[in-house]
Amino acid sequence: MVARLIAKDQSALDYLYDHYSGALYGVVFRILKKEEIAEEVLQDIFLKIWDKIESYDATKGKLFTWMINIARNQAIDKARSKEASKGRKTDDIDYLVNKIDIQEHSQLPIDAIGLKEVLLKLSEDQQFIVNQLYLKGYTQSEVAEEFNIPLGTVKTRLRLAMIELRSILDIK
Amino acid sequence: MNIEEYISSGILETYALGDLSAKEKEEVEKNLQLYPALRDELSKVEQTMEALLMKAGKNPRIEVKQKLFQKINKKPEGKLVQMTQESSSGWRYATAASVAIALFSSYLAFDYWGKWKNSESNLTDLIAQNQRIAQDYNNVNLRLDQIETDLKVTSNPNFTRVVMRGTPNSPESLASVYWNAQTKEVYLSIQQMKELSKENQYQLWAIIDGKPVDCGVFDFGVAGLIKMKEAFAVPTTFAVTIEPRGGKLSPSLETMQVAGNLAKS
Repeated sequence: MVARLIAKDQSALDYLYDHYSGALYGVVFRILKKEEIAEEVLQDIFLKIWDKIESYDATKGKLFTWMINIARNQAIDKARSKEASKGRKTDDIDYLVNKIDIQEHSQLPIDAIGLKEVLLKLSEDQQFIVNQLYLKGYTQSEVAEEFNIPLGTVKTRLRLAMIELRSILDIK
Repeated sequence: MNIEEYISSGILETYALGDLSAKEKEEVEKNLQLYPALRDELSKVEQTMEALLMKAGKNPRIEVKQKLFQKINKKPEGKLVQMTQESSSGWRYATAASVAIALFSSYLAFDYWGKWKNSESNLTDLIAQNQRIAQDYNNVNLRLDQIETDLKVTSNPNFTRVVMRGTPNSPESLASVYWNAQTKEVYLSIQQMKELSKENQYQLWAIIDGKPVDCGVFDFGVAGLIKMKEAFAVPTTFAVTIEPRGGKLSPSLETMQVAGNLAKS
């Protein structure tokens, strides 16, 4: 697959898009929350994958992981540039909305049924960590700071949640 | 290195999330080369993340894919100009080449013009933002100056604080007077006073020897300390009434809102 992409074989990109655009778009959309912006960023992400595929190194991780990291970074960059141009007052509102989100974190804002079932099998702590880090796209230090949890605890909770998910999702 | 401990610290999950610093990332990548157990574990971590995010996917609209492929096919590959040596009609190719170059340059010019426009509007935004921040900074500074002045009064032991509580006219109201027995200065601070119509103002009175002495008028809703007229003798009581704008010579006692006695020293 990677070799075909490097050879600029468009059918490889076609395949990649059909398989992974949903997962990548999910990540981007949850961070940016606006369809048009998220779709524009999704295009940029695939253009970047197409242009930068030579720099992907399989010994450092899977292609999916590489793509997800591009997607997250691209979306977070966009979110920051959006915030910077919005001025202060709306930031305060964002902050408030975030706070409200936090208070309601036990009710996960997720519509996919399969996902919800999976997450409900985790403890509340673990649901929270998975939701913040994987679904909402916060970094670990952001979660640590905002919710006053030591960074080490964030890491170990994540670790435990992922082990739990491993058996729920039947990863061998 | 204790692999178990290393793994259970959650560092591989963090690595897969792309959350490590460049230095930590390099270290993990080095360790992955050294320890096969780490590679196996990372693979499971990645599979779990993939399975989770595949479940959490959301499909973009169909047009997005079409637009993406349009963009990819429109990209200039830099192979527009190809000269052939063997041609006898070299001039025709040269003409074709210069047309191609001209087209390509116009495209670039147009592209740069768009970028330039874009940065210009970004710059305008930034300048506006900068002005807003400067304005906010000035406001904060002014506010800080006022608070500093107020603090000098409230923390000065020569000022006696007299709390004026609400009368039956307005039990909710509350205000304080700071009175300096040496300099005779009087400051007022509103904690809670009712809103007044435009025609009316509050008037502060100092009761000296049983007689009300005017200490000046003020509006409702002023933040911080308000400097009032000086009270030259020792008052027993401070009180506030509602009077027509500008105040009166003697108080309309039936409108008294708050009052408080000076503690005898």
